Amino acid sequence: MMVKMTLQGGLIYLTFALFVATVAALCRGRRAVGRGFWFAGFVAAVASVAWRGVHTGHPPMQNLFEFFLCMAAALWPLSQWSRWRNGLDTALQDALLGAVILFPAGFVFGEEVRRLPPALQSPLFIPHVASYVAGYVMLARAALMSLPLMRASTDAVRMRQTDAAARQTAAAGFVLLTLGLLLGSLWGKICWGHYWQWDPKEMWSLATWLMYGGYFHYRLRHGVQAPKTLAALLWLGLLFVVLTLTWINVSRLFAGMHNYA
Amino acid sequence: MTGLGGAAWLCWILALGSVALAFPGPERAGALMTRPFMQGFTAGVAALLAFNGLRALKRRRLDSVLLHLGCACVLAGWLMGRHAERTATPGNPVTGSMAMVDGDVTDKLWDGPQLTRYVGRLPFLVKLEKFFVEYYDANAQDRDAGRMPPVREYRSRVTLAEPGKPSYVANVRVNHPVKVQGYHIYQLSWGQSQDMYGRPVTYTVLQFIRDPGLPVVYAGFVVLFAGVLLFAVRVFRITLPDAREVSP
Repeated sequence: MMVKMTLQGGLIYLTFALFVATVAALCRGRRAVGRGFWFAGFVAAVASVAWRGVHTGHPPMQNLFEFFLCMAAALWPLSQWSRWRNGLDTALQDALLGAVILFPAGFVFGEEVRRLPPALQSPLFIPHVASYVAGYVMLARAALMSLPLMRASTDAVRMRQTDAAARQTAAAGFVLLTLGLLLGSLWGKICWGHYWQWDPKEMWSLATWLMYGGYFHYRLRHGVQAPKTLAALLWLGLLFVVLTLTWINVSRLFAGMHNYA
Repeated sequence: MTGLGGAAWLCWILALGSVALAFPGPERAGALMTRPFMQGFTAGVAALLAFNGLRALKRRRLDSVLLHLGCACVLAGWLMGRHAERTATPGNPVTGSMAMVDGDVTDKLWDGPQLTRYVGRLPFLVKLEKFFVEYYDANAQDRDAGRMPPVREYRSRVTLAEPGKPSYVANVRVNHPVKVQGYHIYQLSWGQSQDMYGRPVTYTVLQFIRDPGLPVVYAGFVVLFAGVLLFAVRVFRITLPDAREVSP
């Protein structure tokens, strides 16, 4: 636990505060105020990513700290997209998700600058990491969206709408997950000489991809007969995402090629 | 449509298998997967995927066709690469490395942690003209501040002599492999050592890899991604007439 007394830290805490304010305003039914905070939080998150990029002199996607900053900045556009696509207002849960994502960036991860080693100097660096940033955010949002499926009181219309929104969000996340996996594989061939190294992070990413593959097959087979199972599967997928991001990065048990973070 | 429930279970079982392979570490997991049983298992999964892809053709689900055939293609390409590894001969090696200092000329490939196991000969000669290491400028704000600045780039300038062709110069560096006669040349690592008179020398390690299955794997990537895109389009086409009315 540490507080960052730098401009970077200030921007992160400002974003964090604006996300929390969004949640507070929306919980009290102050929708216009909440939307204002939510957009201001997005601007602050973008400023935070931009400053990190300027400060380090490389795309801010090298380690978990930078990865989490990017995830926080990706939330608002994705939230707007869901609102436009599915007619679901997800600002409250997205702002909450943003606060959860920014907490480790603000208080746990260090912000030391580390120059890019030769292995990371590649045009595939940004597409590979950006796909995973956006993909993981989408999958986290799909899990949050599916929450009403867990409640027995949800009516049939609401149920179908929620299911469609969660499934569409998960499908978009799945496309990005696939893209990230394939680009990573291509990059691995160019950089390390092999497209698949049996690296722990690769194995967990493949497992995550397969978990969502299972969800889509299950959804095709059973439809919305068992909405609770659908929601549980999305949360199980999110568990794999969270483990890939945390345990696999931090634990010495899984030392491998991806030890940049 | 009864196969779908089984397919979901197969996905989850493979996910668990993938997680299990994360524990032994890259080397042991990779070695395990080259065992005949795992090769057979992979071939079985590839065949099942191809079968389901073709079955989806009958139902006119193009997304499903491409997804399953793409996955099968990737697995088949991987199996081709492993087959090439098993059937490699010293006259036609698949993978190996060479440690060189400036001026060395060789076509011999080595393997093992200390590069002591002889693998075979390349169909061309490699001469290391010069090896370069460049560092970042020292920066007080760096994580490595006060120590040697981190390496920015290292590269080997080599002359490649293919039989029956004029020799030419190429630069091998990280993320920029050079392709010669089916082999990719990679800048694997570098280090410092001493020559026989005790003088310090800098050596570079180049890796040579030939993978006949690679085009199949890449074709699989393209087909697989096309399938995923089509699948997403299909999912997104489901619009609910009442979607907007229920919004909070």
